[in-house]
Amino acid sequence: MAQFLHALQNSAFSAWVVGSESIWAYPMILTMHTVGLGIVVGAAVVVDLRLLGIAPAIPIDEIKRVFPIFWVGFFINLVSGLMLFVSEAEDKATQPVFLLKLLLIAIGVVVTGRIRRVLFGSGSMPTVAATAARTLAVSSLVAWGGAIVAGRLMAYLK
Amino acid sequence: MDPFSAWLEATRISTTMRNMTWLWPACESIHFIGLALLIGGAGYFDLRLLGFMRRVPMAAAKAFMPWAITGFAMNFVTGTAFFVMAPHMYVLSAAWWAKVFFIVVAGMNAMLFETALGTRVLLLGPNEDTPTSFKIVGAVSLLSWFAVLFFGRMLPYIGTGN
Repeated sequence: MAQFLHALQNSAFSAWVVGSESIWAYPMILTMHTVGLGIVVGAAVVVDLRLLGIAPAIPIDEIKRVFPIFWVGFFINLVSGLMLFVSEAEDKATQPVFLLKLLLIAIGVVVTGRIRRVLFGSGSMPTVAATAARTLAVSSLVAWGGAIVAGRLMAYLK
Repeated sequence: MDPFSAWLEATRISTTMRNMTWLWPACESIHFIGLALLIGGAGYFDLRLLGFMRRVPMAAAKAFMPWAITGFAMNFVTGTAFFVMAPHMYVLSAAWWAKVFFIVVAGMNAMLFETALGTRVLLLGPNEDTPTSFKIVGAVSLLSWFAVLFFGRMLPYIGTGN
């Protein structure tokens, strides 16, 4: 594994991402990662707030339409995140706050998936109790908010 | 360093803030959470203005706006903190001025909607498509907020930022 990570970090692709003077390399990948973040967490916030009772006039069935947007943002961040990781694979793989970020993302994805399945999987009427919906919503907000903070702290906790 | 930045960075408030080593990272974290609130809340309404999700009543789609405004407020405060702590990174930065420009565009677009088009919202029936004026407002809003995000993130890399 260590050899693999070393090879990634020293690959030609990595050299381009990190070493290129072009703003279209590392800076652009980083910016796309922030765009994706805005979409992922923005979408999650809208769904979570609805579950917490904000905008009750929006039918629960309609809030479903936000999920594809969430996944577009997630895809953007998966790809940009992989590119960022590859360029610094060895260092990132052992950085505690980065591993924490991955854990929080995993929790966020699981919770989001659960929200989708439990609330919308069985037809258009939500069958889960209000308290369970609220717990899922709060868990989602904490996970995604935590992922943002962990990501930001990566530059400081090396 | 330009004279204005030199003056501001020498002030007691700027120096004190810079000496709190945790302050900058904390402001960054809040700034990113704020942008997520803003993109989510305003983005949802913008999509409705563009004519998506027509079964959602217009007034309901607007219900996330207070959260978007909260996000903007968080970012205005933390942004001001960044500026007070290290104005030299922004005052001569093309990326920063582009960011400010698009914040102004987004703000004026919102004001235009509220003052000139807001009442037309009430005339919109359920499942109706939105008028072109609404679509333009929604598109300008989405594009400008993402432009703000773009130039903000590019700050260390474009112009003289850093």
